[in-house]
Amino acid sequence: MFRVLLCAAAFVAALIPATDALAHCFVGARFFPATLGIDDPCVADELSLPTVAMFKNGDDPSARQTDISGEISKRITETFGVSFGTTWTHLRPPGGPNASGFQNLETSFKWQFLTVPEREFVMSAALEIEWGRTGAQSVGAEQFNVYTPTLFFGKGFGGLPDSARWLRPFAVTGQVGYAIPGRRSTITSIDTDPDTGEQTIDAEYHPQVLVWGGTLQYSMPYLKSSVVDLGLPDFFNRLIPIVEVALQTPVANTITSGTVTTGTINPGVIWAGDYFQLAAEALIPVNRASGHGIGGLVQLHFYLDDIFPRSIGRPLFGSSSSARAGGY
Amino acid sequence: MRYATLIALMALLPLGAAPAAAHATLDRSDPPVGSTVATAPSALTLTFTQNLEPAFSTIEVRDERGARVDTGKAQVDPGNRRLLRVGLRGLSPGRYSVRWRVLSVDTHKTEGNFAFRVGR
Repeated sequence: MFRVLLCAAAFVAALIPATDALAHCFVGARFFPATLGIDDPCVADELSLPTVAMFKNGDDPSARQTDISGEISKRITETFGVSFGTTWTHLRPPGGPNASGFQNLETSFKWQFLTVPEREFVMSAALEIEWGRTGAQSVGAEQFNVYTPTLFFGKGFGGLPDSARWLRPFAVTGQVGYAIPGRRSTITSIDTDPDTGEQTIDAEYHPQVLVWGGTLQYSMPYLKSSVVDLGLPDFFNRLIPIVEVALQTPVANTITSGTVTTGTINPGVIWAGDYFQLAAEALIPVNRASGHGIGGLVQLHFYLDDIFPRSIGRPLFGSSSSARAGGY
Repeated sequence: MRYATLIALMALLPLGAAPAAAHATLDRSDPPVGSTVATAPSALTLTFTQNLEPAFSTIEVRDERGARVDTGKAQVDPGNRRLLRVGLRGLSPGRYSVRWRVLSVDTHKTEGNFAFRVGR
């Protein structure tokens, strides 16, 4: 029995990496920060808490909406991770009544299947699941699951020639997902004509939605360490000005939803520290159906791999391809 | 319950940050990143944001033809483990590219590259 336990312990120990690798989103010389409007293209151990968004939503008339979100991501292996997140929403429609409650819980399974350090290029694929009936209907949480397979990419421009070296700190990231509701429609009312006895059934159809977006970012850390050190104060050398675009387009089963694209354009800035990052962005709706006026979004994001490098900040299984193999 | 969990996580995480080490990123270089220096340096010194593991921390310096011009194994300064230094052979005027890869003491690896010029 003891030998069996010993073998089991040795097996588990062998699975625990002796060294860890890049963790949060380093791809070659490029660091892709965690972004707010869309997800970054890497698998990582990280915690976004809180993310606070305040805006006037797309209802007519608009309600003032406040979302406070949290998400934790954990690497299972070096390239596969899982995330759990939820959002608390407070709605203040004009004339009331106010409503508040949690949105549905969300889980994401993500695989970083391609990493090309020398080209600062990374791709990953994820299945995101919104679990129906786990949130409050009063704030719009759906009563059914929504499944969203998604592709992510990130590309840095560090390979540009010397003549364009000031453009090297630029990078883009993007995502394309397809949200598939677990239910095609929901009956919202059944009216019976008192004279004829005929029934009229009203239903809301749940569309399949293309979820897409991207970011354009200029990395001051990259400028300092890979292009030219201008001798700026450390605070400025940690800034990453960014513009995010997060959009949704209903593409199927659109009988009641219509096909209008909604979303926001989010200009802002990220300050990346050693253990956490802070971000602030404006939320500019792309049309009236997306909201009214300019909102705001802030986030505090922790790099768990740096805060807890020898415990929860490393993958549960598997070893890295880093220095253990005898160098680079 | 969910409120309590969120609040507890927020309170605990900053406390846990104190004893940890993070990714080692390049803080400064001598000669500086992207600079032009008048006289040929005899060594390249990189200063990182974290202590380094000497065994897995390397620097390569190449001239415009791609030939190595460093003297070999980079050395971590025993008195300051954030410093990584490599000697340089007599550099003639021109552009030199630097590629570094380091492992911080908490086992995170990072890498980067930049260029500097000598003379003209």
